[in-house]
Amino acid sequence: MKIITCCKIVPNEEGITVLPNRELSTENAPLAISQYDLNAMECGKQMAAETKGTMAALTIGSSKTLENTKIRKDILSRGADELQIVMDDAHSFSDSLQTAKAIAAALNKIDSYDVVLCGAGSSDLYSQEVGIQTGTLLNLPVVNNVTAIRIVSDHTLEIERTLEDEVEVLEVTLPAVISVSSEINTPAVPSMRDIMKAGKKPVTILTIDDELPSYTETLEQLAPMQQERRQEVIEGDNDEAVDALVQFLKKEGF
Amino acid sequence: MAIQSIFIVSDSYFVLPEFCAGAKTLADSVTAVVFGNEEEAKSAVNCGADKVIYCPTLENSAPEDYAAAIADIVKKESSAIVLVNNSIRGKCLAGKLGVYLDTAVISAANELSMENDSFVCRRIVYGGTAFRKECFKVPYGVVTISSGIFDIEPVSSESCDVIPIEGQALDTIKRISIEEKKEGTVNLVAAKRIVDVGRGLAAKEDLEMCHQLSKTIGGEVGCSRPVAENNKWMPKSCYMGITGVQVKPELLIALGVSGQVQHIGGINKAKVIVAINKDKAAPIFKNADFGLVGDMYKIVPALIEKLS
Repeated sequence: MKIITCCKIVPNEEGITVLPNRELSTENAPLAISQYDLNAMECGKQMAAETKGTMAALTIGSSKTLENTKIRKDILSRGADELQIVMDDAHSFSDSLQTAKAIAAALNKIDSYDVVLCGAGSSDLYSQEVGIQTGTLLNLPVVNNVTAIRIVSDHTLEIERTLEDEVEVLEVTLPAVISVSSEINTPAVPSMRDIMKAGKKPVTILTIDDELPSYTETLEQLAPMQQERRQEVIEGDNDEAVDALVQFLKKEGF
Repeated sequence: MAIQSIFIVSDSYFVLPEFCAGAKTLADSVTAVVFGNEEEAKSAVNCGADKVIYCPTLENSAPEDYAAAIADIVKKESSAIVLVNNSIRGKCLAGKLGVYLDTAVISAANELSMENDSFVCRRIVYGGTAFRKECFKVPYGVVTISSGIFDIEPVSSESCDVIPIEGQALDTIKRISIEEKKEGTVNLVAAKRIVDVGRGLAAKEDLEMCHQLSKTIGGEVGCSRPVAENNKWMPKSCYMGITGVQVKPELLIALGVSGQVQHIGGINKAKVIVAINKDKAAPIFKNADFGLVGDMYKIVPALIEKLS
Protein backbone atom coordinates (compact mmCIF):
# COMPACT_ATOMS: atom_id res chain seq x y z
CA MET A 1 0.00 0.00 0.00
CA LYS A 2 1.31 3.43 -0.89
CA ILE A 3 0.62 5.94 1.82
CA ILE A 4 1.12 9.68 1.79
CA THR A 5 1.05 11.49 5.11
CA CYS A 6 0.59 15.24 5.11
CA CYS A 7 2.42 17.22 7.72
CA LYS A 8 2.77 20.88 8.50
CA ILE A 9 5.74 22.66 10.00
CA VAL A 10 4.63 25.24 12.55
CA PRO A 11 6.23 27.55 15.09
CA ASN A 12 6.19 25.82 18.46
CA GLU A 13 3.43 27.54 20.48
CA GLU A 14 5.55 27.71 23.59
CA GLY A 15 8.10 29.85 21.75
CA ILE A 16 5.57 32.39 20.51
CA THR A 17 5.85 35.68 22.36
CA VAL A 18 3.28 38.41 22.75
CA LEU A 19 4.53 41.90 21.92
CA PRO A 20 3.46 44.95 23.95
CA ASN A 21 0.92 45.85 21.23
CA ARG A 22 -0.61 42.36 21.68
CA GLU A 23 0.65 41.18 18.30
CA LEU A 24 2.47 37.85 18.15
CA SER A 25 6.09 37.26 17.34
CA THR A 26 7.12 33.83 16.06
CA GLU A 27 10.70 35.00 15.50
CA ASN A 28 12.18 33.05 18.37
CA ALA A 29 9.80 30.12 18.22
CA PRO A 30 11.55 26.91 17.16
CA LEU A 31 10.04 25.02 14.22
CA ALA A 32 8.20 21.80 14.93
CA ILE A 33 6.06 19.23 13.20
CA SER A 34 2.47 20.08 14.00
CA GLN A 35 1.62 17.93 17.00
CA TYR A 36 -1.44 16.16 15.59
CA ASP A 37 0.41 15.21 12.40
CA LEU A 38 2.64 12.96 14.51
CA ASN A 39 -0.37 10.68 15.01
CA ALA A 40 -0.93 10.56 11.24
CA MET A 41 2.75 9.69 10.65
CA GLU A 42 2.65 6.94 13.27
CA CYS A 43 -0.51 5.57 11.67
CA GLY A 44 1.07 5.65 8.19
CA LYS A 45 4.20 3.96 9.45
CA GLN A 46 2.17 1.11 10.93
CA MET A 47 0.03 0.71 7.80
CA ALA A 48 3.09 0.68 5.54
CA ALA A 49 4.72 -1.96 7.73
CA GLU A 50 1.61 -4.12 7.81
CA THR A 51 1.14 -4.05 4.02
CA LYS A 52 4.87 -4.09 3.19
CA GLY A 53 4.20 -0.80 1.47
CA THR A 54 5.73 2.65 1.66
CA MET A 55 4.97 5.96 3.27
CA ALA A 56 5.93 9.32 1.83
CA ALA A 57 5.61 12.49 3.86
CA LEU A 58 4.28 15.56 2.06
CA THR A 59 4.76 19.06 3.36
CA ILE A 60 4.08 22.52 1.98
CA GLY A 61 5.45 25.77 3.32
CA SER A 62 7.87 28.62 2.92
CA SER A 63 11.45 28.02 1.76
CA LYS A 64 12.73 29.52 5.01
CA THR A 65 10.95 26.76 6.91
CA LEU A 66 11.50 23.83 4.60
CA GLU A 67 15.12 24.40 3.63
CA ASN A 68 15.90 23.66 7.26
CA THR A 69 17.69 20.27 7.21
CA LYS A 70 16.97 19.60 10.85
CA ILE A 71 13.24 19.76 10.19
CA ARG A 72 13.55 17.56 7.09
CA LYS A 73 15.42 14.99 9.15
CA ASP A 74 12.86 15.20 11.92
CA ILE A 75 10.05 14.39 9.46
CA LEU A 76 12.03 11.54 7.92
CA SER A 77 12.90 9.99 11.28
CA ARG A 78 9.26 9.13 11.93
CA GLY A 79 8.70 6.30 9.50
CA ALA A 80 8.51 8.03 6.11
CA ASP A 81 10.59 6.45 3.33
CA GLU A 82 10.82 9.71 1.44
CA LEU A 83 9.85 13.36 1.72
CA GLN A 84 8.03 15.41 -0.90
CA ILE A 85 8.24 19.16 -0.44
CA VAL A 86 6.41 22.04 -2.04
CA MET A 87 8.24 25.27 -1.27
CA ASP A 88 6.06 28.28 -1.74
CA ASP A 89 6.84 31.80 -0.63
CA ALA A 90 4.03 33.39 -2.60
CA HIS A 91 1.12 32.21 -0.49
CA SER A 92 0.37 32.46 3.19
CA PHE A 93 -1.84 29.34 3.38
CA SER A 94 -3.93 30.89 6.08
CA ASP A 95 -7.28 29.51 4.94
CA SER A 96 -8.43 25.93 4.60
CA LEU A 97 -9.30 25.91 0.88
CA GLN A 98 -6.10 27.57 -0.31
CA THR A 99 -4.11 24.98 1.63
CA ALA A 100 -6.31 22.11 0.41
CA LYS A 101 -5.89 23.24 -3.21
CA ALA A 102 -2.11 23.26 -2.82
CA ILE A 103 -2.11 19.75 -1.32
CA ALA A 104 -4.48 18.48 -4.03
CA ALA A 105 -2.17 19.98 -6.69
CA ALA A 106 0.84 18.29 -5.09
CA LEU A 107 -0.98 14.96 -4.89
CA ASN A 108 -1.80 15.25 -8.59
CA LYS A 109 1.96 15.43 -9.25
CA ILE A 110 2.55 12.19 -7.36
CA ASP A 111 2.07 9.04 -9.44
CA SER A 112 -0.38 7.05 -7.44
CA TYR A 113 -1.33 6.48 -3.85
CA ASP A 114 -3.78 4.41 -1.87
CA VAL A 115 -4.24 6.43 1.30
CA VAL A 116 -3.65 10.06 2.17
CA LEU A 117 -3.42 10.58 5.93
CA CYS A 118 -3.85 13.86 7.78
CA GLY A 119 -3.80 14.77 11.45
CA ALA A 120 -6.86 16.10 13.26
CA GLY A 121 -5.87 19.71 12.66
CA SER A 122 -2.73 21.83 12.58
CA SER A 123 -1.56 23.00 15.97
CA ASP A 124 -1.36 26.63 14.79
CA LEU A 125 -4.64 27.24 12.95
CA TYR A 126 -6.50 24.04 13.88
CA SER A 127 -9.22 24.41 11.27
CA GLN A 128 -9.66 20.61 11.01
CA GLU A 129 -10.92 21.10 7.47
CA VAL A 130 -7.90 20.80 5.16
CA GLY A 131 -8.02 17.00 4.86
CA ILE A 132 -11.74 17.01 4.15
CA GLN A 133 -11.44 19.74 1.54
CA THR A 134 -8.42 18.07 -0.11
CA GLY A 135 -10.29 14.79 -0.53
CA THR A 136 -13.42 16.51 -1.78
CA LEU A 137 -11.41 18.49 -4.35
CA LEU A 138 -9.93 15.22 -5.60
CA ASN A 139 -13.34 13.57 -5.58
CA LEU A 140 -12.16 10.93 -3.12
CA PRO A 141 -13.94 9.52 -0.07
CA VAL A 142 -13.08 11.47 3.09
CA VAL A 143 -13.49 10.51 6.74
CA ASN A 144 -12.59 12.62 9.77
CA ASN A 145 -11.91 11.80 13.43
CA VAL A 146 -10.79 8.25 12.65
CA THR A 147 -9.91 6.30 15.79
CA ALA A 148 -8.96 2.91 14.27
CA ILE A 149 -8.06 1.51 10.85
CA ARG A 150 -8.20 -2.14 9.84
CA ILE A 151 -6.77 -3.15 6.48
CA VAL A 152 -9.27 -5.47 4.77
CA SER A 153 -7.64 -5.68 1.33
CA ASP A 154 -5.46 -3.64 -1.02
CA HIS A 155 -8.51 -1.63 -1.93
CA THR A 156 -10.57 -1.54 1.24
CA LEU A 157 -10.21 -0.26 4.77
CA GLU A 158 -12.52 -0.78 7.69
CA ILE A 159 -12.52 2.45 9.59
CA GLU A 160 -13.73 3.34 13.07
CA ARG A 161 -14.87 6.92 13.36
CA THR A 162 -15.75 8.23 16.80
CA LEU A 163 -18.51 10.82 16.92
CA GLU A 164 -19.74 12.73 19.97
CA ASP A 165 -22.04 9.96 21.27
CA GLU A 166 -21.55 7.16 18.78
CA VAL A 167 -18.89 5.05 17.13
CA GLU A 168 -19.32 4.32 13.42
CA VAL A 169 -17.61 1.54 11.52
CA LEU A 170 -17.26 2.38 7.83
CA GLU A 171 -16.04 0.50 4.80
CA VAL A 172 -13.92 2.82 2.69
CA THR A 173 -12.83 2.10 -0.85
CA LEU A 174 -9.35 3.35 -1.72
CA PRO A 175 -7.90 5.74 -2.63
CA ALA A 176 -9.23 7.89 0.18
CA VAL A 177 -8.26 10.80 2.42
CA ILE A 178 -8.40 10.06 6.12
CA SER A 179 -7.99 12.45 9.05
CA VAL A 180 -7.01 10.57 12.17
CA SER A 181 -7.89 11.55 15.71
CA SER A 182 -5.08 12.04 18.21
CA GLU A 183 -6.65 9.12 20.09
CA ILE A 184 -5.67 6.64 17.38
CA ASN A 185 -2.16 5.96 18.70
CA THR A 186 0.74 7.24 20.75
CA PRO A 187 3.49 8.40 18.36
CA ALA A 188 6.81 6.62 18.94
CA VAL A 189 9.84 8.72 19.79
CA PRO A 190 12.41 8.29 16.98
CA SER A 191 15.40 6.16 17.98
CA MET A 192 19.03 7.15 17.32
CA ARG A 193 18.97 4.71 14.42
CA ASP A 194 15.84 6.33 12.95
CA ILE A 195 17.52 9.72 13.14
CA MET A 196 20.73 8.44 11.54
CA LYS A 197 18.80 6.80 8.72
CA ALA A 198 16.68 9.91 8.12
CA GLY A 199 19.58 11.85 6.64
CA LYS A 200 19.99 9.33 3.83
CA LYS A 201 16.36 9.22 2.71
CA PRO A 202 15.37 10.89 -0.57
CA VAL A 203 13.86 14.38 -0.62
CA THR A 204 11.98 15.52 -3.72
CA ILE A 205 11.00 19.10 -4.47
CA LEU A 206 7.64 19.34 -6.24
CA THR A 207 6.55 22.38 -8.18
CA ILE A 208 2.91 23.20 -8.59
CA ASP A 209 1.63 25.84 -10.93
CA ASP A 210 -2.04 25.81 -10.04
CA GLU A 211 -3.69 29.05 -9.17
CA LEU A 212 -4.12 29.31 -5.41
CA PRO A 213 -6.35 32.25 -4.54
CA SER A 214 -7.00 33.11 -0.91
CA TYR A 215 -10.57 33.02 0.32
CA THR A 216 -10.35 34.89 3.59
CA GLU A 217 -8.70 38.04 4.78
CA THR A 218 -7.16 38.33 8.23
CA LEU A 219 -8.16 41.71 9.61
CA GLU A 220 -6.42 41.45 12.94
CA GLN A 221 -4.57 38.91 15.03
CA LEU A 222 -3.99 39.82 18.64
CA ALA A 223 -3.34 38.11 21.93
CA PRO A 224 -6.49 37.98 24.06
CA MET A 225 -6.89 40.55 26.78
CA GLN A 226 -6.12 39.02 30.13
CA GLN A 227 -9.44 38.26 31.78
CA GLU A 228 -9.77 40.26 34.97
CA ARG A 229 -9.53 37.85 37.90
CA ARG A 230 -9.26 38.79 41.55
CA GLN A 231 -6.28 36.53 42.23
CA GLU A 232 -6.85 36.29 45.98
CA VAL A 233 -4.23 33.66 46.74
CA ILE A 234 -3.60 32.09 50.14
CA GLU A 235 -0.67 29.81 50.90
CA GLY A 236 -1.46 26.79 53.00
CA ASP A 237 -3.53 23.64 53.13
CA ASN A 238 -4.45 23.69 56.80
CA ASP A 239 -7.89 24.07 58.30
CA GLU A 240 -7.66 27.84 58.25
CA ALA A 241 -6.90 27.96 54.54
CA VAL A 242 -9.81 25.66 53.74
CA ASP A 243 -12.06 27.83 55.91
CA ALA A 244 -11.01 30.86 53.91
CA LEU A 245 -12.01 29.05 50.72
CA VAL A 246 -15.37 28.05 52.23
CA GLN A 247 -15.93 31.68 53.26
CA PHE A 248 -15.09 32.84 49.74
CA LEU A 249 -17.56 30.37 48.18
CA LYS A 250 -20.28 31.45 50.63
CA LYS A 251 -19.65 35.11 49.89
CA GLU A 252 -19.99 34.36 46.17
CA GLY A 253 -23.33 32.70 46.83
CA PHE A 254 -22.35 29.08 46.21
CA MET B 1 -26.59 46.60 7.94
CA ALA B 2 -27.30 42.89 7.70
CA ILE B 3 -26.33 40.37 5.06
CA GLN B 4 -28.99 38.94 2.85
CA SER B 5 -28.96 35.31 3.73
CA ILE B 6 -27.71 32.86 6.34
CA PHE B 7 -28.13 29.11 6.13
CA ILE B 8 -27.88 27.09 9.32
CA VAL B 9 -26.88 23.51 8.74
CA SER B 10 -27.06 21.38 11.85
CA ASP B 11 -26.97 17.69 12.72
CA SER B 12 -28.48 18.63 16.09
CA TYR B 13 -31.96 20.04 16.67
CA PHE B 14 -30.98 21.21 20.14
CA VAL B 15 -28.85 24.14 18.92
CA LEU B 16 -31.33 25.45 16.33
CA PRO B 17 -33.28 28.02 18.41
CA GLU B 18 -30.07 29.72 19.56
CA PHE B 19 -28.43 29.64 16.11
CA CYS B 20 -31.58 30.94 14.39
CA ALA B 21 -32.12 33.73 16.90
CA GLY B 22 -28.47 34.75 16.57
CA ALA B 23 -28.49 34.53 12.77
CA LYS B 24 -31.61 36.71 12.66
CA THR B 25 -29.59 39.57 14.15
CA LEU B 26 -27.08 39.27 11.29
CA ALA B 27 -29.15 38.42 8.20
CA ASP B 28 -32.47 39.30 6.57
CA SER B 29 -33.34 35.71 5.80
CA VAL B 30 -32.48 32.57 7.78
CA THR B 31 -32.93 29.06 6.39
CA ALA B 32 -32.34 26.02 8.61
CA VAL B 33 -31.19 22.77 7.04
CA VAL B 34 -31.80 19.74 9.25
CA PHE B 35 -31.52 15.96 8.98
CA GLY B 36 -33.95 13.14 9.62
CA ASN B 37 -37.49 12.33 8.61
CA GLU B 38 -40.37 14.75 8.14
CA GLU B 39 -41.69 14.18 11.63
CA GLU B 40 -38.34 15.03 13.24
CA ALA B 41 -37.98 18.06 10.98
CA LYS B 42 -41.41 19.32 12.05
CA SER B 43 -40.10 19.57 15.61
CA ALA B 44 -38.07 22.52 14.30
CA VAL B 45 -41.10 24.34 12.96
CA ASN B 46 -40.83 27.05 15.64
CA CYS B 47 -37.02 27.25 15.71
CA GLY B 48 -37.01 30.82 14.50
CA ALA B 49 -35.93 30.23 10.90
CA ASP B 50 -37.87 31.60 7.93
CA LYS B 51 -37.80 28.18 6.33
CA VAL B 52 -36.74 24.67 7.34
CA ILE B 53 -35.37 22.26 4.73
CA TYR B 54 -34.88 18.66 5.81
CA CYS B 55 -32.60 16.01 4.36
CA PRO B 56 -34.03 12.55 4.88
CA THR B 57 -31.11 10.55 6.25
CA LEU B 58 -32.14 7.04 5.36
CA GLU B 59 -30.53 3.95 6.74
CA ASN B 60 -27.15 4.27 5.08
CA SER B 61 -26.84 7.96 4.34
CA ALA B 62 -25.28 10.50 6.66
CA PRO B 63 -25.71 14.29 6.84
CA GLU B 64 -22.35 14.87 5.14
CA ASP B 65 -23.60 13.04 2.04
CA TYR B 66 -25.98 15.93 1.39
CA ALA B 67 -23.19 18.51 0.98
CA ALA B 68 -23.62 18.86 -2.80
CA ALA B 69 -27.41 19.11 -2.55
CA ILE B 70 -27.19 21.76 0.18
CA ALA B 71 -24.60 23.72 -1.84
CA ASP B 72 -27.02 23.76 -4.79
CA ILE B 73 -29.66 25.41 -2.61
CA VAL B 74 -27.20 27.95 -1.19
CA LYS B 75 -26.08 28.83 -4.72
CA LYS B 76 -29.59 30.07 -5.52
CA GLU B 77 -28.56 33.12 -3.49
CA SER B 78 -25.93 35.36 -5.04
CA SER B 79 -24.07 35.43 -1.73
CA ALA B 80 -24.60 33.77 1.63
CA ILE B 81 -23.01 32.61 4.84
CA VAL B 82 -23.48 28.99 5.90
CA LEU B 83 -23.22 28.33 9.63
CA VAL B 84 -22.58 24.68 10.42
CA ASN B 85 -22.83 23.03 13.83
CA ASN B 86 -19.28 22.33 14.96
CA SER B 87 -19.68 18.58 15.58
CA ILE B 88 -17.48 15.92 13.97
CA ARG B 89 -20.07 15.31 11.26
CA GLY B 90 -20.61 19.06 11.00
CA LYS B 91 -16.90 19.62 10.33
CA CYS B 92 -16.97 17.05 7.54
CA LEU B 93 -20.10 18.59 6.06
CA ALA B 94 -18.62 22.11 6.33
CA GLY B 95 -15.43 21.15 4.49
CA LYS B 96 -17.36 19.56 1.64
CA LEU B 97 -19.78 22.49 1.44
CA GLY B 98 -16.80 24.81 1.24
CA VAL B 99 -15.42 22.97 -1.79
CA TYR B 100 -18.78 22.95 -3.57
CA LEU B 101 -19.23 26.67 -2.86
CA ASP B 102 -15.55 27.38 -3.66
CA THR B 103 -14.77 28.86 -0.29
CA ALA B 104 -12.78 28.21 2.86
CA VAL B 105 -14.17 27.16 6.23
CA ILE B 106 -13.61 29.43 9.21
CA SER B 107 -13.62 26.91 12.03
CA ALA B 108 -14.92 27.17 15.55
CA ALA B 109 -15.71 30.86 15.43
CA ASN B 110 -16.33 32.38 18.86
CA GLU B 111 -17.93 35.57 17.71
CA LEU B 112 -19.77 36.73 14.59
CA SER B 113 -20.56 40.33 13.77
CA MET B 114 -21.24 42.82 11.00
CA GLU B 115 -18.50 45.41 10.69
CA ASN B 116 -18.45 47.95 7.87
CA ASP B 117 -20.86 45.86 5.84
CA SER B 118 -18.76 42.73 6.07
CA PHE B 119 -19.42 39.54 7.95
CA VAL B 120 -16.61 39.23 10.50
CA CYS B 121 -15.62 36.10 12.42
CA ARG B 122 -13.33 35.87 15.41
CA ARG B 123 -11.63 32.63 16.34
CA ILE B 124 -8.82 31.40 18.53
CA VAL B 125 -5.52 30.48 16.85
CA TYR B 126 -2.06 29.33 17.96
CA GLY B 127 -3.44 27.22 20.79
CA GLY B 128 -5.04 30.15 22.59
CA THR B 129 -2.22 32.62 22.08
CA ALA B 130 -4.25 34.88 19.79
CA PHE B 131 -7.65 35.83 18.49
CA ARG B 132 -7.87 36.14 14.73
CA LYS B 133 -10.45 38.38 13.17
CA GLU B 134 -11.19 37.47 9.57
CA CYS B 135 -13.73 37.81 6.81
CA PHE B 136 -14.45 36.10 3.49
CA LYS B 137 -13.22 37.60 0.21
CA VAL B 138 -15.64 35.56 -1.91
CA PRO B 139 -19.47 35.52 -2.24
CA TYR B 140 -19.95 32.48 -0.01
CA GLY B 141 -18.55 31.62 3.38
CA VAL B 142 -18.77 28.55 5.61
CA VAL B 143 -18.30 28.91 9.37
CA THR B 144 -18.53 26.24 12.06
CA ILE B 145 -19.98 27.35 15.39
CA SER B 146 -20.85 25.76 18.73
CA SER B 147 -23.71 26.29 21.10
CA GLY B 148 -23.10 29.29 23.35
CA ILE B 149 -21.72 31.55 20.59
CA PHE B 150 -24.77 33.82 20.64
CA ASP B 151 -25.52 35.57 23.87
CA ILE B 152 -29.22 35.53 23.14
CA GLU B 153 -32.39 34.15 24.69
CA PRO B 154 -34.29 32.41 21.88
CA VAL B 155 -37.96 33.36 21.86
CA SER B 156 -40.54 30.94 20.58
CA SER B 157 -41.43 32.13 17.11
CA GLU B 158 -44.15 31.61 14.54
CA SER B 159 -44.14 28.38 12.62
CA CYS B 160 -42.55 28.28 9.20
CA ASP B 161 -42.57 26.04 6.13
CA VAL B 162 -40.87 22.67 6.50
CA ILE B 163 -39.95 21.22 3.12
CA PRO B 164 -37.81 18.31 1.88
CA ILE B 165 -34.54 19.02 0.08
CA GLU B 166 -34.52 18.80 -3.70
CA GLY B 167 -31.22 16.94 -4.17
CA GLN B 168 -30.01 13.51 -3.16
CA ALA B 169 -27.41 12.08 -0.79
CA LEU B 170 -24.24 11.40 -2.80
CA ASP B 171 -20.90 9.67 -2.26
CA THR B 172 -22.26 7.64 0.60
CA ILE B 173 -19.64 5.64 2.47
CA LYS B 174 -20.82 2.17 3.42
CA ARG B 175 -21.62 2.02 7.09
CA ILE B 176 -21.04 -1.38 8.65
CA SER B 177 -22.27 -0.54 12.12
CA ILE B 178 -23.02 2.28 14.47
CA GLU B 179 -22.97 1.91 18.21
CA GLU B 180 -23.52 4.18 21.13
CA LYS B 181 -20.35 5.12 22.93
CA LYS B 182 -19.79 3.05 26.03
CA GLU B 183 -18.31 5.81 28.09
CA GLY B 184 -20.88 8.03 29.73
CA THR B 185 -21.18 11.46 28.19
CA VAL B 186 -21.22 14.55 30.33
CA ASN B 187 -22.63 17.81 29.23
CA LEU B 188 -19.93 20.14 30.46
CA VAL B 189 -21.15 22.98 28.23
CA ALA B 190 -24.41 23.14 30.18
CA ALA B 191 -22.88 22.52 33.64
CA LYS B 192 -23.22 25.33 36.16
CA ARG B 193 -20.45 24.05 38.41
CA ILE B 194 -17.38 22.12 37.32
CA VAL B 195 -14.49 20.41 39.09
CA ASP B 196 -11.51 20.66 36.74
CA VAL B 197 -8.88 17.95 37.23
CA GLY B 198 -5.29 18.48 36.11
CA ARG B 199 -2.02 16.63 36.05
CA GLY B 200 -1.60 17.19 39.78
CA LEU B 201 -3.84 14.17 40.35
CA ALA B 202 -1.53 11.30 41.30
CA ALA B 203 -3.66 8.28 40.41
CA LYS B 204 -6.81 7.38 38.53
CA GLU B 205 -8.42 6.13 41.76
CA ASP B 206 -8.20 9.64 43.16
CA LEU B 207 -10.83 10.75 40.65
CA GLU B 208 -13.28 9.38 43.19
CA MET B 209 -12.41 12.27 45.48
CA CYS B 210 -12.98 14.75 42.62
CA HIS B 211 -16.37 13.21 41.86
CA GLN B 212 -17.26 13.50 45.54
CA LEU B 213 -16.42 17.18 45.48
CA SER B 214 -18.45 17.71 42.32
CA LYS B 215 -21.39 15.90 43.93
CA THR B 216 -21.07 18.13 46.99
CA ILE B 217 -21.22 21.30 44.92
CA GLY B 218 -23.79 19.83 42.50
CA GLY B 219 -21.64 19.84 39.39
CA GLU B 220 -19.76 17.79 36.82
CA VAL B 221 -16.12 16.72 36.50
CA GLY B 222 -13.95 17.82 33.59
CA CYS B 223 -10.20 17.74 33.07
CA SER B 224 -7.21 19.14 31.21
CA ARG B 225 -5.91 17.52 28.04
CA PRO B 226 -3.14 15.31 29.49
CA VAL B 227 -5.57 13.67 31.93
CA ALA B 228 -7.76 12.54 29.02
CA GLU B 229 -5.25 12.08 26.20
CA ASN B 230 -2.05 10.93 27.90
CA ASN B 231 -3.32 9.22 31.05
CA LYS B 232 -6.65 8.23 29.48
CA TRP B 233 -8.22 8.51 32.93
CA MET B 234 -11.25 10.35 31.61
CA PRO B 235 -13.04 10.28 28.24
CA LYS B 236 -11.77 12.74 25.66
CA SER B 237 -15.17 14.47 25.72
CA CYS B 238 -14.31 15.67 29.24
CA TYR B 239 -11.26 17.72 28.46
CA MET B 240 -11.58 21.46 28.41
CA GLY B 241 -9.40 23.68 26.29
CA ILE B 242 -9.08 25.39 22.92
CA THR B 243 -9.06 22.02 21.16
CA GLY B 244 -11.54 20.52 23.61
CA VAL B 245 -14.75 21.64 25.27
CA GLN B 246 -15.23 25.32 26.02
CA VAL B 247 -17.30 25.81 29.14
CA LYS B 248 -18.99 28.70 30.95
CA PRO B 249 -20.05 27.57 34.42
CA GLU B 250 -20.80 29.86 37.34
CA LEU B 251 -18.08 28.14 39.37
CA LEU B 252 -15.03 26.14 38.33
CA ILE B 253 -12.70 24.56 40.88
CA ALA B 254 -9.35 23.66 39.32
CA LEU B 255 -7.49 20.87 41.14
CA GLY B 256 -3.83 20.41 40.29
CA VAL B 257 -4.26 22.29 37.02
CA SER B 258 -1.14 24.17 35.91
CA GLY B 259 -3.05 26.56 33.68
CA GLN B 260 -1.51 26.37 30.22
CA VAL B 261 -2.85 28.80 27.65
CA GLN B 262 -4.61 26.06 25.71
CA HIS B 263 -6.52 24.96 28.82
CA ILE B 264 -7.31 28.49 30.01
CA GLY B 265 -8.90 29.11 26.59
CA GLY B 266 -11.47 26.47 27.45
CA ILE B 267 -12.35 27.65 30.95
CA ASN B 268 -11.93 31.43 30.99
CA LYS B 269 -15.62 32.07 30.47
CA ALA B 270 -16.29 30.66 33.94
CA LYS B 271 -17.73 33.33 36.19
CA VAL B 272 -15.65 32.37 39.21
CA ILE B 273 -12.47 30.28 39.11
CA VAL B 274 -11.00 28.71 42.24
CA ALA B 275 -7.54 27.13 41.94
CA ILE B 276 -5.89 24.59 44.21
CA ASN B 277 -2.28 23.74 43.33
CA LYS B 278 0.95 22.88 45.14
CA ASP B 279 3.03 25.04 42.83
CA LYS B 280 2.87 28.69 43.81
CA ALA B 281 4.20 29.72 40.40
CA ALA B 282 1.50 27.83 38.43
CA PRO B 283 -0.08 30.18 35.86
CA ILE B 284 -3.54 29.05 36.97
CA PHE B 285 -3.30 31.46 39.93
CA LYS B 286 -3.13 34.41 37.55
CA ASN B 287 -6.39 33.20 36.07
CA ALA B 288 -8.16 32.48 39.34
CA ASP B 289 -10.39 34.57 41.54
CA PHE B 290 -9.40 32.61 44.59
CA GLY B 291 -6.41 30.33 45.02
CA LEU B 292 -5.01 27.99 47.64
CA VAL B 293 -1.34 27.06 47.37
CA GLY B 294 -1.28 23.64 48.97
CA ASP B 295 -1.80 19.92 48.73
CA MET B 296 -5.10 19.08 47.07
CA TYR B 297 -5.07 15.73 48.89
CA LYS B 298 -5.39 17.63 52.17
CA ILE B 299 -7.63 20.43 50.96
CA VAL B 300 -10.25 18.52 48.97
CA PRO B 301 -11.35 16.06 51.70
CA ALA B 302 -11.52 18.93 54.22
CA LEU B 303 -13.50 21.03 51.75
CA ILE B 304 -15.98 18.21 51.08
CA GLU B 305 -16.49 17.80 54.82
CA LYS B 306 -17.03 21.50 55.43
CA LEU B 307 -19.43 21.91 52.51
CA SER B 308 -21.49 18.79 53.28
